[in-house]
Amino acid sequence: MDLNALFECLGSMSCIVTQTSTGLIVGALLFLVAAGLTLIFGVLGVINFAHGSFYMLGAYVALSAYRITDNYALAAVAAGLGVGLFALVFERFFMRRVYKSDVLLQLLVCYAFILILDDVVKIVWGAEFQSMGMPKAFQQAPLFIGGGVVPVFYVYLMAAAGLIAGLLWFILTRTRAGKIIRAAAQNPGMTSALGLNTRLIYASVFAFGGLLAGLAGGLAAPVRSMSPGMGFSILIESFIVTVIGGMGSVSGALLGALLIGLIRSFGSIGFPLFVEGIMFLAMGLILVYKPSGLMGKGQS
Amino acid sequence: MSGLKRWQKDSAWAALALLLLLALPLLDPSRVVVDFIIRLCAVGLLATSLNMLVGYGGMVSFGHAMFFGSGAYAFSLMLQKTAVSVPVALLTAVVFCGLLAAVIGAICVRLKGIYFSFLTLAFQMLLHSIIITWTGLTGGDQGLTGGIPRPVFIGIDLSKTQHVYMFSCVLAVVCLLVMRLLMQSPFGYTLRMLRDNEDRAAFLGINAWRVRLYAFILAGMFAGVGGVIMALFVSGAFPDFSYWTMSGEAVFMIMMGGIHVFTGPVLGAALLQIFNDTITRNTQYHGLALGLVILLFTLGFQRGITDVFKGWRKWLPAANKGGH
Amino acid sequence: MLSIDKLYKSFGGVSAISDVSMEFPEGSLSAVIGPNGAGKTTFFNLISGGLQPDSGEILLDGENMVGLSRNAIVHKGIGRAFQVAKLFKSLTVEESLRAALQSAFGHSAQMHGSFPLPATRDRAHEVMEQLGLQNKADTVSGNLSHGDQKLLDMALALVMQPKVLLLDEPVAGMGPDERSQMMDTVQQLWRKGGLTIVLIEHDMDIVFRVAQQIHVLSYGKLLAQGNAEEIRANPRVIEAYLGHAQENAGE
Repeated sequence: MDLNALFECLGSMSCIVTQTSTGLIVGALLFLVAAGLTLIFGVLGVINFAHGSFYMLGAYVALSAYRITDNYALAAVAAGLGVGLFALVFERFFMRRVYKSDVLLQLLVCYAFILILDDVVKIVWGAEFQSMGMPKAFQQAPLFIGGGVVPVFYVYLMAAAGLIAGLLWFILTRTRAGKIIRAAAQNPGMTSALGLNTRLIYASVFAFGGLLAGLAGGLAAPVRSMSPGMGFSILIESFIVTVIGGMGSVSGALLGALLIGLIRSFGSIGFPLFVEGIMFLAMGLILVYKPSGLMGKGQS
Repeated sequence: MSGLKRWQKDSAWAALALLLLLALPLLDPSRVVVDFIIRLCAVGLLATSLNMLVGYGGMVSFGHAMFFGSGAYAFSLMLQKTAVSVPVALLTAVVFCGLLAAVIGAICVRLKGIYFSFLTLAFQMLLHSIIITWTGLTGGDQGLTGGIPRPVFIGIDLSKTQHVYMFSCVLAVVCLLVMRLLMQSPFGYTLRMLRDNEDRAAFLGINAWRVRLYAFILAGMFAGVGGVIMALFVSGAFPDFSYWTMSGEAVFMIMMGGIHVFTGPVLGAALLQIFNDTITRNTQYHGLALGLVILLFTLGFQRGITDVFKGWRKWLPAANKGGH
Repeated sequence: MLSIDKLYKSFGGVSAISDVSMEFPEGSLSAVIGPNGAGKTTFFNLISGGLQPDSGEILLDGENMVGLSRNAIVHKGIGRAFQVAKLFKSLTVEESLRAALQSAFGHSAQMHGSFPLPATRDRAHEVMEQLGLQNKADTVSGNLSHGDQKLLDMALALVMQPKVLLLDEPVAGMGPDERSQMMDTVQQLWRKGGLTIVLIEHDMDIVFRVAQQIHVLSYGKLLAQGNAEEIRANPRVIEAYLGHAQENAGE
């Protein structure tokens, strides 16, 4: 543990800027993943333990798409759509069978997929670390804000994430489908009670969650190297975010994700080995004192 | 056999099993079998103790491996840093796990369903983080290396494999028998009542929190013994013992072997081990194969092997799907 | 013997029970009726400790039950059977009853010895015979027929030797034959003496036939109380039921 380094950083504007921007990026990506997870939980009552694998698939699909088209935006979109489609199939043929079953069975089905997908990725793309590399458009000199170094890509990424978040907000609050989903996320059993087409809603929410996770994987590709098994840590973190924010709450996921992102970036200076511990501590505190999460049931 | 009481039958089976196990190396002295059984003793205790919570109590813990790890570390550290005898180190490890379980359980057991599961996971990962960070004590992510001193006690020399084998078998069988007797005691049935209908149990005057806490503590202690055996086997303790993958494997063991039969988890542990060993010998795509097997069990059978044979319906103890 | 005095309960501003007072003399068989939503089950919850009233008294032999926990109330002598049977589905009939008894004897956390405890045998068998379940002693509760499940539910309350037995819709979901069987059983139980029974029921035939006293709730308030003739002729009661024309007070 090196708390001195942490305090030094907090005293330095440049360090604060650098770390905050990193934290915001991590948070933004985490938000995209967690938003899907929390919606799936809220509407379907199911915990998609395979969500981290969706993220991983997104990264690899983006990698291949980028190699073919040399266009980052297209690659990210391909990642989102590809994984969304996969999620649709996964839900239809596998998850649907265990909705009514014990959590353990759902967990195991997802765990099985994690194992299978990790090996599939190994077979198709190889087991070594791969990286997309920074697309030419972003290979510019970094910005200097307040003395801190902020890569140009981070700015674009934040903008993209912000755009998606905004779109998400719009869909959830302004469209009929979105309002139904939001209400259903906070009120389990509502969809069937209202006679809505539960199957369609479940499939859409699952696919949408997969799309967001895949998109996140694709967007992150330039700055994250990928390897089979990379889904685990994002899965754990998005769980923590979902619990902290409140299961079923997208705004909670945003809050939680930014919090975790900042903990990660500042924590890696002060206590690099214990960062996970701190995050789990936060999750534990929420579970004990406010199990419904920071923005849990009763608030939007 | 019919005139015997159930506990007498159980004890007889245990004695028989122990005799067979002890005789085995004489019939087939191969190192592979001996290693397999020692390891099975360790993870069998982990799985069976977990099933006390999951199968009998309806409490799905995602973090049970934290006691497995704690047992291993406590035992190893006692022997490495102090001059106590092996039995004392064992006792210390078990007591330590019990105390840890008491503190953690007091907090977790108040929650139900998925919240309980997540909180146990959180505690386990917190412990894991502590283990990794506190390099001075635990050796960090390298684990406790350098071997464990094994002072001879009452003629038992744990630096010899045959002795480790016999020690592990006796320890495991005794612990399994005790767990069995506990589950067949009034306490065990109270646990079942809480699992089946907590509401009704409350109307009958049962204090759910207290009973569940006792179960949590006991399960933790027995998992700790499993950790001790593991530590002897690998001559050390490693952070992975307290990682979520260890807990996940334990869950899969009991699912595969059967939750509703007492010996299910041990069977599941054995099968998983056999499976793992076979796969890693034949293909590098261990995950793919294991994943497919899991799918077969979960989507196909939807219950463990012993559950199938005993005709259990697909009904599993209601562990509150999704926390709703 | 069981005396309810000016009970009030509301949920978030909505009044569920208001100013309800009733007397249940020792050894009586009474019914609490009313259209759906009248608050009957809430009333039972209040008496059995599932809910705490906002104000009012619940006196069992002069002792106030308000503020006591569910467990304590059960030990004092108020037993309850539920509209939807609350059973231990994986345990057999006999195991369920003996498990209930072991808890009554304070042995629920006992870790030595074997279940079932010998001390629990006699009372469990006694109750099984009282309710006609002795042939199903080894049947797993989850596998029982609906009627038998309701009987077991009642048995679980009886086994604790209550002074007052609250039966929440004992014949719900049963056909006519099963209904009369169940009511015969209930009356047999009652005639043995020592038990005060309160029923919630929708089946008016049953209510008018067996109940000595009938209390009518409507919208959480006590509308009328009296014997079968008085209630049958009471215009306000008739109006309350007609007002809920969809409600089938019988079948």
